[in-house]
Amino acid sequence: MSGDYDHDHHAPQPWGPHDWGHGAPHNSFSPLFMSMGIAIFLFGMAEAWSYGTYNPGNIPMILVGLLVVGFSIFIWWRQDLSFDGHYEPIATGVPFRGIQIRKVGVWVFLMSEMMVFTSLFSTYMRYRLGIENCGTVFERGMFDPVTNPTGWQEGVTVTCFEPASHLIASSWWHIAPGAINTFALIISSFTIVQALRYAKMPDLDDEVRRKKVYRYLGTTWFLAILFLTLKMVEWFIGFYVPEISAIGLHEHDIISLVDEGYTINADHYQHHSYVDEATGAHMVADIQVSASLFYVTTGTHGAHVAGGIIGLSYMTYKAWLGGYTPKNAVSIEYFGLYWHFVDLIWVLVFPFFYLY
Amino acid sequence: MGGNMTISRSMVALLLISIAMVVSPAVNSLPTGVNYDQISAGGCNCHAAAPNAAVMVTLDGLPEEYNMSEIYQVTISFTGGPSAEGNANLGGFNLWASGGEITPLDATVQSNGPSEVTHTEAGNDYTSWSIEWIAPSHGRDVDFVVHVNSVNGDGNAGPEDQWNKLTLKVAGSLGPGLEEADPYKVLATLIIISGILLAITVLYGFYRTNPDVFDWEHLAPWLTEWLTSTDHKKIGTLYFVQGLFFLGIGGILAMMIRIQLAVPGNDFISQDQYNSFFTLHGTTMIFLAAMPLINGFANWMVPLQIGAPDLAMPRLNALSFWLQPFAALLIFTGVFTGEGADTGWTGYAPYIVTEGAHTGVTMWVAGQIMLVASSTLTGINFLTTMAVMRAEGMGWMQMPLFTWSILVANLMLFLSIPAFGVGLIQVYLDRTISTAFYDISAGGDPLLWSHLFWYFGHPEVYVVIVPAFGVISEVLATSARRSIFGYRSMVYAMAGIGVVAFIVYGHHMFTSGMSPSLRFVTMLTTMLVAVPTGIKIFNWLKTMHGGSLVYRTHTLWALGFLVTFTLGGISGMFFPSIAMDTHLHETYFVVAHFHYVLVGGTVFGFFSAIYYWYPKMTGRMLDERLGTLHFLTAFVTYNGIFWPMHRLGVVGMARRHHTYFITTDDFTNLPEWAADWNLFISVSAFLFFFSNFIMVANMLISLVRGEKAPADPWGGWSFEWMTSSPPPTPSFDWDNPPVLKDANEHIAHEPGRLGQWFNRLMVPEDHEEVSH
Amino acid sequence: MSLITPLYDSLWNEYLVWSLLVALFTFGWLYHHSFFYRSEDGENPNVDDLEVGVFPAHYDDLKLELAWTIVPFMLIVYLTYISWAPLDNVWSSPNDGYFGNECDYDSTEYQTYGSNLYFDDDDGLKGAYHANCYHTIEITAKQWVWSFDCGTLEVELCESGFTEADGRAVPHLSLQAGNAYLAYMTSEDVTHAPWFVSLGVKEDVLPGQTTTVWILAEDVEDFLLLCTEYCGDDHAYMMAGVTIHA
Repeated sequence: MSGDYDHDHHAPQPWGPHDWGHGAPHNSFSPLFMSMGIAIFLFGMAEAWSYGTYNPGNIPMILVGLLVVGFSIFIWWRQDLSFDGHYEPIATGVPFRGIQIRKVGVWVFLMSEMMVFTSLFSTYMRYRLGIENCGTVFERGMFDPVTNPTGWQEGVTVTCFEPASHLIASSWWHIAPGAINTFALIISSFTIVQALRYAKMPDLDDEVRRKKVYRYLGTTWFLAILFLTLKMVEWFIGFYVPEISAIGLHEHDIISLVDEGYTINADHYQHHSYVDEATGAHMVADIQVSASLFYVTTGTHGAHVAGGIIGLSYMTYKAWLGGYTPKNAVSIEYFGLYWHFVDLIWVLVFPFFYLY
Repeated sequence: MGGNMTISRSMVALLLISIAMVVSPAVNSLPTGVNYDQISAGGCNCHAAAPNAAVMVTLDGLPEEYNMSEIYQVTISFTGGPSAEGNANLGGFNLWASGGEITPLDATVQSNGPSEVTHTEAGNDYTSWSIEWIAPSHGRDVDFVVHVNSVNGDGNAGPEDQWNKLTLKVAGSLGPGLEEADPYKVLATLIIISGILLAITVLYGFYRTNPDVFDWEHLAPWLTEWLTSTDHKKIGTLYFVQGLFFLGIGGILAMMIRIQLAVPGNDFISQDQYNSFFTLHGTTMIFLAAMPLINGFANWMVPLQIGAPDLAMPRLNALSFWLQPFAALLIFTGVFTGEGADTGWTGYAPYIVTEGAHTGVTMWVAGQIMLVASSTLTGINFLTTMAVMRAEGMGWMQMPLFTWSILVANLMLFLSIPAFGVGLIQVYLDRTISTAFYDISAGGDPLLWSHLFWYFGHPEVYVVIVPAFGVISEVLATSARRSIFGYRSMVYAMAGIGVVAFIVYGHHMFTSGMSPSLRFVTMLTTMLVAVPTGIKIFNWLKTMHGGSLVYRTHTLWALGFLVTFTLGGISGMFFPSIAMDTHLHETYFVVAHFHYVLVGGTVFGFFSAIYYWYPKMTGRMLDERLGTLHFLTAFVTYNGIFWPMHRLGVVGMARRHHTYFITTDDFTNLPEWAADWNLFISVSAFLFFFSNFIMVANMLISLVRGEKAPADPWGGWSFEWMTSSPPPTPSFDWDNPPVLKDANEHIAHEPGRLGQWFNRLMVPEDHEEVSH
Repeated sequence: MSLITPLYDSLWNEYLVWSLLVALFTFGWLYHHSFFYRSEDGENPNVDDLEVGVFPAHYDDLKLELAWTIVPFMLIVYLTYISWAPLDNVWSSPNDGYFGNECDYDSTEYQTYGSNLYFDDDDGLKGAYHANCYHTIEITAKQWVWSFDCGTLEVELCESGFTEADGRAVPHLSLQAGNAYLAYMTSEDVTHAPWFVSLGVKEDVLPGQTTTVWILAEDVEDFLLLCTEYCGDDHAYMMAGVTIHA
């Protein structure tokens, strides 16, 4: 492998495609453009929203940023598309000797991802345990200066913690998108491993391998898309449950979280169960902190899925071209490690934010 | 450049006001007049806290649109409030105009400046006053601000009195004055200007490299090579240039701060400018100067020292670098628009999410998010590289100490920075789409930010000092021509610092209102930090024992480091003692301490590294005489800056204040000598700032006509001294890769018990894929 | 005349002595070695035979290394020990702590002895403040004004108002020497921290939470109270005059 590290003495191709026969890519415009794009994107975002005030004139800026990032990813892939496993750096140091270097890199990367979610969960625990639960406040009953001085009052906003699960777990239909998503992700973890298995299988006809790999990758891609779609349904759209009297179903709508009023600026939130039976009075709550936590934590996970979709789109395309062979199948494994991690995080997010 | 005009105008206005304050004899006493500066400081807090609508203010005699230079008679009057016939006093006022001249007409009114008037003691007995306004000649719109007090006449300024204010705009024939700068335009202008400056510099650099082929055909590939390179040496150089550039920028910011503080009550810069300058000074120095300098050397030296061809993921490495300049642009955007981030580098919540904080804070947060991404990628790259790409024969315990220090630093950074990143994203979302993580009224917790920040922030300060430990270990051992004393205890001490870093962060929150039991625990752990650092210092000292010490510039800096870092370490021991920390927290004692460890530690360490590795990086020797001059001037002036700060902090000078108060007749604050020491510090600061240009000049001169450097000019043992200076690409001959021999044969090559266990765990089944 | 407070000074002085000892030891060693082991050519003596590409022979001495692990550790333990004792005093409990309970203004005991704050040099390692009982005041902070609320305390014990310092109108708090006060503090907007400079105490004032700080008015003095948690534009002007009268 000694020669692999030689400089690419032929014309360097910073726009791709790259001739991997000469070793690692030595030049790329991708990092420069990606950084530029991210900066433009963050700048545009900060100009477009200010404390919830929306200024649509800045949307082009955001789009430009995304376009530049997209372009940089395109360059990256263009360089990578020709990668056939000829150059795959192998570790020389103890204790990882003999393992692919980039696999170690992915594991190290996952360490930092772990800390990202740990921080988010710390925030969650701080507020979940530190702010009184809205349900507890409601159960204390209505305010009365003598008998119940700590109770809630009609028309007076209570600041409390309202877990999203209170809404979501209130009916089987409400929890359905989250439940389906859980299975979608678990199945997608299986399909990505199947893709790896067939890509690695040594004595397999090339055409069979191509089909197997791209179909399994495509399935994974589809499941990831399904995940995000259901997420949007649950957050913004809601859905309709038809009448099937045979199994005791009655026609009704499942309202999305946003339509239920569970939003990051909900300072007058009112859950349908927060009604005093005797007087018909409503308890009104300021739940901005809990809603922010819910949307940002599950949103961060969603962003990881979205990142996975971008990667999967490329990998499916490469597999469709027949780009994966036992020699470079380990690339699928790198992605698989990440994908399993995203799956695992969902397995933690789901009970904490949807069930409990 | 509208922003600058506005800034210079307001500076002139502030200067005039301050002159007026000095000239006017009675401005300080309340019954005889109100000072506008005082009003702007906190509402008209001399009489009650908030304006009261019961007081009706009128301003008669002003035209809709004025004629240039014409004279107008204006009457200020008010009704309502506690003021009533028969009271001893009736009220007072202050009128300020943004242009023109205001002159009193009688003895009831006095001038506070060219365009500011207030009542006199005699004017206390009226509810209306007359003045004359000479309209300005520039024809722009003029703003009038009038504050009026309605008093109950008991002779005391107190909450029973009421006040109100009125603002009025008088149009000029030429319309409004300079508009507030549009961030986009200013940013674009600045990008273009910096781009042009950079282009000129780069062109000159290209010209110097080879004056014979100065044309586009040669320039384009040369430029492309630098913009797209994934070579660790090229990226190291880029980091290095970026680090030095921002060291200069941060230095300029520090000089502005020192001018402001040179004398008490100075108004060289306004408080909001001062606030964004100290914020950016901290951010720039830590994230854009110190860390890139460290990364520059790490990029250059780690692969060379462990005998690796490059970093594990070269393209990601390039991405780590390029994120930095763009992040810097975002961080500075606010300053360019006159609304720089003003939160301090700690950005404490809830101030950071309030609308009172400057709009530049959002951009500052965005830039920091990019820096977090950059650091994470750097961490992945370096950790992987060091774990998997060591040359044959180099076990973990044969890695050079600089490489070890980078390993420990990156591990700390890597495990702590996600917490900061998450906190930043929360703040970014709070400030943009209005989530409520730090919205106190919705139940947000200001301490949560402090925890997330310091969980990262404390390891971060070790991240910048530990690599300096590595440098000093290399330099001292080589200079004394000895192997480092206690290599293993050095490694364990560094690792110990790395572990302890995570459990001591609470000492930044000793006065934060956090639970006392938590504070007590971190007091105990913080005390522990002294043990591993002590081991390191004594090991360095013992390394010199029996050696052959030669005084070269890098040796001088290393010895200087030992002095200043030890002093910084000793002053650090005062903080964990909480009964003292309640006094010392957030004072100049803290400022002195962390500059002793960050400048006297990190910067001195990396100055040493520059003199030590510059010949290896460029193939040219640096001038020793200029180097010694740099050391002597910088070392002396540096101590002149920060040593007196200890005392200033103890006697009561608080940090992050744009001004300070020398004892007045009524209240003791700082003794009079504090002003003299501040002036002394400012002078030293300028000398220190300029002395560092000796080093820059030295580097530039040596690039052009420095002596050629041999492969191993100082007699070091690690791999980087094996290749020529500068190293070729690839750095080593890969048909004959470097193999580390070990002078301690008995323990060489064999992995330890832990290593063997890992080996069993990690080696894949299909051995035939593995090539050696 | 003490530097800050007797409690602070006793710690400060002891720390200073140890600092000087450590500095003398370290710098003496550094000074000696940097001159004694100079060499003209940097080659003689060549003890360890350094060679490029060869990991150098170990130069260590377990006994020495252990010595400068254990000795500093013992010093640290000692410094922790002496810093530990005053903590009880700094964070004394409001119920039956060093400062007793909140004063019962009707009791004969209060009318005879008052709050009676004093510093006992012999209490514990570093001495401690004691009082019979304490008074309660409230401090509210907002950008960029302090406001002090004396509650029902007599004017002699606590008075708040306005005064002038350095040409500015600032809030003013007047306390009586020989009294212990417990301040309950909160903020209306962002984090602030009052620094009672001459009393050597400060504590953050957090919005939405209540923090406390002991104000031990021992000596007669006037000083400025400064804000020491960055709070925005006029942070430096957010001060107050504090008078401790006899």
